[in-house]
Amino acid sequence: MSESAIAMIPSMKAHKIHLGFIMCALIGLLVVVLLLSIGIGAVKVPIDSVLGFLLGQRSLSPNEKVILFQIRLPRILAAGLVGAALSVAGLLFQGLFRNPLADPYVIGSSGGAVLGGSVGMFMLPQFSWFGFSATAVLAFVGSAATIGLVYWLARVSGRTPIVNLLLAGFAVSTMLSYSSYFVEILGEDYGVGMRALASWLHGVIGVPSWTQLSVIAVMTCLGGLFSLPLARRLNTLALGEGYAHQLGIRVEYTRIGIIAVGSLLTAAAVSVGGLISFVGLVVPHLGRMMMGPDNVRLLPVTALLGAILLMLTDTLARTLLAPSELPVGVLMAFIGGPFFLYLLRKTKREYSL
Amino acid sequence: MTPLLHFADVSFSYGERLVLDGIEFSIAEKSCVALIGPNGIGKTTLLQLAAGMLSCSSGTVWFNGCRLNSVRRMEAARQVALVPQHVDVPFEFTVEQIVEQGRTPYLGLFAGLTREDRRAVERAMEFTDITSLRNRVFNELSGGERQRVKVALALAQQPRLLLLDEPTQNLDLGRRLELLNLIHSLNQEGVTILASMHDLQLIEGTFSSVLLLNPDRRLVSGSAEEILRPGILESAFDCPPRHGLMPTDEPKILVERKP
Repeated sequence: MSESAIAMIPSMKAHKIHLGFIMCALIGLLVVVLLLSIGIGAVKVPIDSVLGFLLGQRSLSPNEKVILFQIRLPRILAAGLVGAALSVAGLLFQGLFRNPLADPYVIGSSGGAVLGGSVGMFMLPQFSWFGFSATAVLAFVGSAATIGLVYWLARVSGRTPIVNLLLAGFAVSTMLSYSSYFVEILGEDYGVGMRALASWLHGVIGVPSWTQLSVIAVMTCLGGLFSLPLARRLNTLALGEGYAHQLGIRVEYTRIGIIAVGSLLTAAAVSVGGLISFVGLVVPHLGRMMMGPDNVRLLPVTALLGAILLMLTDTLARTLLAPSELPVGVLMAFIGGPFFLYLLRKTKREYSL
Repeated sequence: MTPLLHFADVSFSYGERLVLDGIEFSIAEKSCVALIGPNGIGKTTLLQLAAGMLSCSSGTVWFNGCRLNSVRRMEAARQVALVPQHVDVPFEFTVEQIVEQGRTPYLGLFAGLTREDRRAVERAMEFTDITSLRNRVFNELSGGERQRVKVALALAQQPRLLLLDEPTQNLDLGRRLELLNLIHSLNQEGVTILASMHDLQLIEGTFSSVLLLNPDRRLVSGSAEEILRPGILESAFDCPPRHGLMPTDEPKILVERKP
């Protein structure tokens, strides 16, 4: 009795936190992190002069303007978008696999996106489809195909056991990421490609152009929008395939929808940030600790938390060892790896099915 | 009068393995039917066919005069609910969140729960006496509590036909009787019940008729008194007369439902 009484405390608390309150707090935090990150870097621009400039009370030197608006701001916004996209993709995949340890990196969809993207980058550099480069389009195709494959490989009679998922994801993702080297060698500009690929595999958010930025912003927003109707479906899918089916859900279509939207988000993230591990794992889990498992409430919280986390991490990555830069993927691995292991230990009993 | 559920010459096979062969039976509205038979004979499959979760290999499942698999999934889920044997939930959903899932067939793509949905959820929880558990995590409940939550989820669907797969499995005697009371009072409210049962002793008094799936794939139906007879049961469950379940001529009722 006392045991169950203790067990109900955290869940009751999580239930009572008001979504609107949390959202306001997170948006406030996002703005603070954004302003802080703009100010920090090789050239320090004090926050009050940034604010003063935005309010039209102060002017900045042309030099400062270039640094702020052509270099720092695009990069920070890109980090935010990548973080949000990977986190929401993680949330979707955890629902799809019914497993809280799924994440775009772990299950290999990022690897697939890297391979697809590198085909686009090195072999079809001229291609463009409604303003989307071959990199973005093929990253999407690669990601979707990989999830389909891993999902098929890891499933045993309606379940996706964690061991199968991790092993299948690991093998497929490793093969795919390193296949990118072949693509790169077959491509045209050997030297340039090598560096681009290396930074991609390590997860470097470079300095994207505003065009690039708007492409991934569109992809991320579309992904977020399509996730809205999926969120409630994810709750139903959590009860299992049979249950979802008998509650009137068309399970196969829903799965295809999740794979498509998750791949869109992964492709958006990978086409600018490369392989960044564990964001999609850590963030939904933090969200669940705050909000409980209801995906409708989790979705907006996860997106904002992801944006905040990756903005912070990327700012750390470019300032920690200044003037050299750490790839944000490396830093994220240091943060996310231990967290993943902690989850694996903690949840071993419940999720070892 | 059209029966609520009618299986017309229904066969089903998983790949090569034939599970149900030419099954034929009808269930009238507001009746309370027990489905019995030895393990692995296809009771779960039959219930899943009745819920429209599986499509039969040949024959037709009729629901209220319509072919069940031509009815839209969402519409079917408002008419028929199935309480499965097992459910494992990988996240820490609360009881209330689980029961809310029963409203899924009534929700649009973007819409949230309306006041009417909330009322249906509340009623389902009150009926199954789980309102005090609403904020508990489902995975931390006892077997009996979980069973009641699963029934509440099905009630939130507001079905005309409620299918239950081994509802008394893994429950102690007290919880079994509790669940039978629940089934009985649901039936009194006008819900048609079809439940697969292992406890033959618990059938009489709650269930008005019995469907028996025999090992030779024949289906026998009748009232509880007609079916629960030693001769019929011994051959169906393949137990020798001397060590059989019911050595006397009369069905042996060990326990009776509470009034």
